[in-house]
Amino acid sequence: MGNEAELLPGTLDLLILKAVSLGPLHGYGVLLRIEQISGRALLIEQGALYPALFRLVRQGLLKASWGKSDNNRRAKFYELTSKGRKRLRAETDGWNRLVAAIASALAARPQEI
Amino acid sequence: MNLAYFRSLAARFFYRSQTENELEEELRAHIQLRADDLERSGLGRMEAERQARIEFGGHERFKEESREAIAGNFIDMFIRDVRFGTRILLKNPGFTLVAVATLALGTGANTAVFSAFNSLVLRPLPFPSPDQLVRIYSTKNGAFIQGTGNPGGPSPLDIRDFAQSNHTFQNIVPYDTWRKNVSFSAAEGAPEQMRVGLVPGAYFEVLGVRPIMGRLFTEEENQFGHHYVAAIDVRIWKERYAGSNGVLGQKIFINDEPYTIVAVMPQAIPEWMEPGRPGPVELWTPFASATDWSESARGARGDAALGRLKTGVSLAQAEADLSTIAAGLAATHPIDQGIGVALMKLVDTRVGTLRPMLFLLSGAVTLILLIACLNLANLLLARNATRERELAMRAALGAARSCLIRQLLIEAALISIFGAAFGLGLAQIVVSTFRTIYMNDLPQLVSIDLDWRVVIFSLLLCLATTFFFGLFPALKATRQDLVDVLKKGGHGGSSSYSSRRLGDVLVVTEMAISLMLILMASLLIQSIARLERQSLGIREEHLVKGHFYMPPVRYPDSAAITRFCDELARRVRSLPGVSDATITTLYPPVNGWTQMLDLSDRPVSRIEDVASAEFGVSDAHLLKTLGISLLRGRDFSESDAADGQPVALINRAFGEKYFPNSDPIGRQIHIGPPGFLQIAPGATTMDNGDVTIIGVVADFRNRGLVIPPQPQIIGLYRQHPIVNYGFKDFVVRTAVDPRTLSHQITEQLHALDPDIPLAEVQTFDEIVQRQIGDRHFITVLLSSFAVTGLVLALVGVYGVVSNVVSQRKRELAIRMALGATRGNAFSLVLRRAMLTAASGMVLGVIGAWGGQRLIRGFLFHISAVDPTTFIGACIFLLAVAVAACALPAVRALRVDPARLLRQE
Repeated sequence: MGNEAELLPGTLDLLILKAVSLGPLHGYGVLLRIEQISGRALLIEQGALYPALFRLVRQGLLKASWGKSDNNRRAKFYELTSKGRKRLRAETDGWNRLVAAIASALAARPQEI
Repeated sequence: MNLAYFRSLAARFFYRSQTENELEEELRAHIQLRADDLERSGLGRMEAERQARIEFGGHERFKEESREAIAGNFIDMFIRDVRFGTRILLKNPGFTLVAVATLALGTGANTAVFSAFNSLVLRPLPFPSPDQLVRIYSTKNGAFIQGTGNPGGPSPLDIRDFAQSNHTFQNIVPYDTWRKNVSFSAAEGAPEQMRVGLVPGAYFEVLGVRPIMGRLFTEEENQFGHHYVAAIDVRIWKERYAGSNGVLGQKIFINDEPYTIVAVMPQAIPEWMEPGRPGPVELWTPFASATDWSESARGARGDAALGRLKTGVSLAQAEADLSTIAAGLAATHPIDQGIGVALMKLVDTRVGTLRPMLFLLSGAVTLILLIACLNLANLLLARNATRERELAMRAALGAARSCLIRQLLIEAALISIFGAAFGLGLAQIVVSTFRTIYMNDLPQLVSIDLDWRVVIFSLLLCLATTFFFGLFPALKATRQDLVDVLKKGGHGGSSSYSSRRLGDVLVVTEMAISLMLILMASLLIQSIARLERQSLGIREEHLVKGHFYMPPVRYPDSAAITRFCDELARRVRSLPGVSDATITTLYPPVNGWTQMLDLSDRPVSRIEDVASAEFGVSDAHLLKTLGISLLRGRDFSESDAADGQPVALINRAFGEKYFPNSDPIGRQIHIGPPGFLQIAPGATTMDNGDVTIIGVVADFRNRGLVIPPQPQIIGLYRQHPIVNYGFKDFVVRTAVDPRTLSHQITEQLHALDPDIPLAEVQTFDEIVQRQIGDRHFITVLLSSFAVTGLVLALVGVYGVVSNVVSQRKRELAIRMALGATRGNAFSLVLRRAMLTAASGMVLGVIGAWGGQRLIRGFLFHISAVDPTTFIGACIFLLAVAVAACALPAVRALRVDPARLLRQE
């Protein structure tokens, strides 16, 4: 538990977009993919995923279609729309700038001021 | 907002269950997939599924959040709230019914009056650029000249001069309507009396009305002798000619003369625009007259006149322009001295005499709305008080305050929508009832209906009412301290200071308002009763009258007309059941013809001083038939022959005004303008020669029911060939119900001449009713509003007292348990309520006293502060208020106090 982190508000959408950008996924698959790419460091409440997915569909960033899972269960698969792709790029850039800025701020030492 | 959003919204809306199923399936798939993984890691299937469900978290909560995410949730939540609200309202049918009914009555009355206001004032006229259309009236020494029934316009010659020399009008035209005998083909037989419009072709141009077929009258056709052309209304075209294209060129017969149809006109000209008697105009002929266009007829005023202003010209500019011309005419023509013009926008003439009534009615319905609003506020407040616990419970369980407010507002909206719907239905009933009843007397009412403006008005009124009065209770109800409310354990909610104060305000205001409405209504009812009951100066019962017209083609001169009339009267008199009959141009209550006089002993040189009187002609049976008593001198007799010395009767008012100190009998007067006005004697209908006064008769109504009898002079038509027109009325006194004889009278008329139609057969009751149609209208409306107001006020007072009683139930029960009698408790409750009610009534009396100016104009022979009426109304209202207060108190106190206390 010690190396798991709470999600910052608003970052779940970004993670979902990133996860889906690597290939179409069903809801559970998105969860697994985020765990995988975050090195199991992020804690996501499973049910909270769905409202977020539906919100992204409504915003036209994802599109959904029914298909078969690996073990042959019927499931809804999500993939990025072109608009979603653009949004992912923009958000990633924004995030990187933010992280860089905060990291630089936190790394500041007294004599550098 | 994008396409995907709308698609998902639409999907949500239309395929609700499908979306719901998909959501369920997707969440289940997630759990199954997770369970599959867990199973692979070694758990049993059951345990794996259990574990998966636990990991997933609050299934229902996420489902709910998902739903909101899917639809953007607004519509969905709205539908849910509406469903919930409807359920709540249906669970309290009593409350809902009272609230909706209150709103429906309050807004229904307002909607009905607004629809009248809408169609009389707001709605634009059905003509292009209607703001440029102006009616022109003639004034004499600043007062309106009377035409037939309404203010009249300048003489045709004056109008012609106005039209030629003005700078502000595109055109000015005279127009008039006459009753004529019309048949649509020679074969069709008996003609019928119709109202025919006499108009120059430019009349339609001024209005901007184009013929459907054919052409307008030419300038030449306005000349007498060239005028045998007619335009028919589209209604006649459809009914008589089946809409045939061959109608142009067909002949119709007007007063036995053939006219050629040259145009079919649309049904565009509303009836209220027509001067004179009521009835639609569906047929027009040119404005041509043998006499009207001659210089000697310059004083023949009273026709209607209509003009269209040039673009950008104001009414004041136009009036100044025409006044200058009128001053010039007065300088050149002595008969035009003292004659001015007054202009009015055509659209403003539509509301006419109904304008002050509309204001009074608007005031009354506003007061009713105020009552309804107070009731509603009290009702909602009382109800929310009883729901406090429910609301507090929901808040405690996590409902946001905004959620609760939204819920309460949606309930309010539901009530207002139902209220508006019922209110509109009510208004529709009121409007169509009144339209049917009063259409003949008040032609403006024909067009009253509920159009989109009215519907919007009503809906907004309801929403504003409920929201305003629903919002404050809602805010208050949700701002409670939860713990406090829950701790109180639901003892009938808060008997808070503010709700009791609202109750007091309600009782005071509603009592004051309903007292004022009752006062107004009872003053109006008494006025109309007095108007109906007052004597016309004749014996009105067993009298019937009718109108007929002898066309000049077959009755070319006074002798022919006299012969026909005498013979008709003789035949009617010999009918069984008839006690007497007269042929006349005058009968009460309106004479309708004012005549200038020249009294030899009162020489005058200024037009303001010229004597005048009502003038009419009849045969020798007028007094006996109508029952007018002879005060002095003698009645007409058969020996007053056509070629004999012309004789006349005057009424008492005439004698008092013009012969105050001398005996009028035997005096000679000249019926016509004095010499200085330079009108050739006998040249026009304005001059009727010299007469000798032979008798004085009692006064009878000759200027309507409201104005006292004016000086009257009566001649014999056989002695006044110039005004012995073909227009005559008969009046018959019968020994039996006069209506049973109208058929036999018609038979006698048609035995003499089958081509003369009989029209306007009425008893004098009916004539009086028509005269007071507008007063009747406002009296009935205001009375029904007063009843509505009273009922609402009583419901309101009842509600307030019920609240107070239910809030004080415990206290009263304790008092009774400690020995107070039921009577003590009863008077405790009642005293306060009655004190409040009484102070409201004091306020109402003060209000009625202050507002007496508003109603005075509608009253007849009764003071606006009539003490008997005031006292009677107060006693009546007090009595019903006592009943409204006592009822809930009695009901509450009937319960055994011990049981009441145990319940707590």
